Amino acid sequence: MITLPYSRNKRYLTGIDWIIHVLNYMTRKETGAGFMSQVVMELHGKVDLLQTESSLSAFIKKYPVLNGHTSRDFNLAPYWKIPTAGTDKISFETIHIKDSQKKEAPFDDVLTSLEKGINRPFKNRKEHIVFHLISTGEKSYVAMTFDHLVFDARNAEAFLNIFQKEWEGGEDSGNMTITEPAHLSMWTDKFKAGQRVNRAFIKIAGKAPPRVFPLPSGKNGFKFKILSFSRKETEAIAENAFNEAGYLMLMPYALAASVCALHGIFKVRGISSGDYVIPVSIDTRKQEEITKQMFFNHVSFFIFKAKASDASDFKALLKSLKEQMYAQVGSDLPGDICKASLLMRIAPASLLGSLLKLYFKGEIASFCFSYVGKTAYTSPYFMGNKITNIFHMPRTPVPPGIGIFFQQSNEKLNVILSYLDGMLSADEAGLILTSLKSRLGVE
Amino acid sequence: MDKDSHKVIEESLIREVAAILSRDPGSIEPDIPLHEMGLDSLGFVELLVIIEKKFKIKLMESGLTRDDFRTIRALSSKIGAME
Repeated sequence: MITLPYSRNKRYLTGIDWIIHVLNYMTRKETGAGFMSQVVMELHGKVDLLQTESSLSAFIKKYPVLNGHTSRDFNLAPYWKIPTAGTDKISFETIHIKDSQKKEAPFDDVLTSLEKGINRPFKNRKEHIVFHLISTGEKSYVAMTFDHLVFDARNAEAFLNIFQKEWEGGEDSGNMTITEPAHLSMWTDKFKAGQRVNRAFIKIAGKAPPRVFPLPSGKNGFKFKILSFSRKETEAIAENAFNEAGYLMLMPYALAASVCALHGIFKVRGISSGDYVIPVSIDTRKQEEITKQMFFNHVSFFIFKAKASDASDFKALLKSLKEQMYAQVGSDLPGDICKASLLMRIAPASLLGSLLKLYFKGEIASFCFSYVGKTAYTSPYFMGNKITNIFHMPRTPVPPGIGIFFQQSNEKLNVILSYLDGMLSADEAGLILTSLKSRLGVE
Repeated sequence: MDKDSHKVIEESLIREVAAILSRDPGSIEPDIPLHEMGLDSLGFVELLVIIEKKFKIKLMESGLTRDDFRTIRALSSKIGAME
């Protein structure tokens, strides 16, 4: 049974949930679609489309929370209004990509279909999930486009994992908690956290706005480039990270490589003002808490600054990023952001968006980054089909409209470059991946 | 460092790693490399920060090699020698 101790149809939003609402508002305003993401499972063999559709529909119907929407309470705290029953109307899109020789279509064709799926806005404010089933030759792709208002990336994987467990006849969703208190107490604690976050942001922001790519005009969708490394290459990258960055320093190593790769394009473009500011999202839960806190967002952020002068010196850049990570863990900046953001819920999304830009002189960041080492989808199968890869296609918040995301599935590393169409040319996007590969030592 | 104080440091590190990984301390083996237990970059830095606060040592400036950080046993032995 799902636990609903406070109210059957109300879930107060945390400060982080509200920041996600703000990013959703800003992204929708700039591009016409919100802060959505897509988790994609690449499968061996053909998927039974009808069975997949009916099984997923029946499963999702059990979760009315997925058809909720935001509202404000009498105490002004924003909450998620949960309908009393789930819906039968889940959107499914099935695509068959044919190839003249009956083989698999090139991955670029699959990617184009996936891009169409992730760039399509939800139909209404109560739709937060859409499925895309793509078949080509002996391969299939099941993609779940989800709204970040209801899931963070690991939650989306965990949700599909629970579906798979139930499909296999295993346990049901168990002791899942959906509700959240309003957090309208301990104000001093929150204000003190707010002070510390304010000081940290001012220090990181400096006097000039961060170095950014100009946003393209018009309401553009997102383009994606994906690098999938083999197990052997993934091991080689881990070894390189160990040798260059130290034990268990893969995250700062990947971030430093990403800064270097983007720095090359900024240099070619002649964009030379400002340093790099990079928000890095991190999971705030322990591994086994994921299935208990499966909806909404359980993340926080590091905010890194990479001096442009360090971007050509990998060793100096790495040292600086490691020191910042150490300092931010030591001062618990991610924890303070969680507490301080509870105060920000009073501000409407439009106002809070403008306030966040004030810190960084009209910008938010140079690019977004994350590194997720362990997938929350644990089964090697999806509805009887062997999984060959799992990757994410996130629409990066706008601004900055560009992000680099590292994620591992089955001990294989994927790197996803997500950018607003028109922000980079195809050649530039290709160059970023080539440069990343080279920097990670797997040319 | 005597055997007893080494044991105390090791047990303390086991408790910290168990808390970071949200696992039972009894399931933490001091000879297994930390990455094999599921510790990532963030968890590892959390552990280093805890060690610095608890044992009042500056790990970043300690001159420890990468291998000294690999297992709880290796780490506790080095901490013991530095205390």
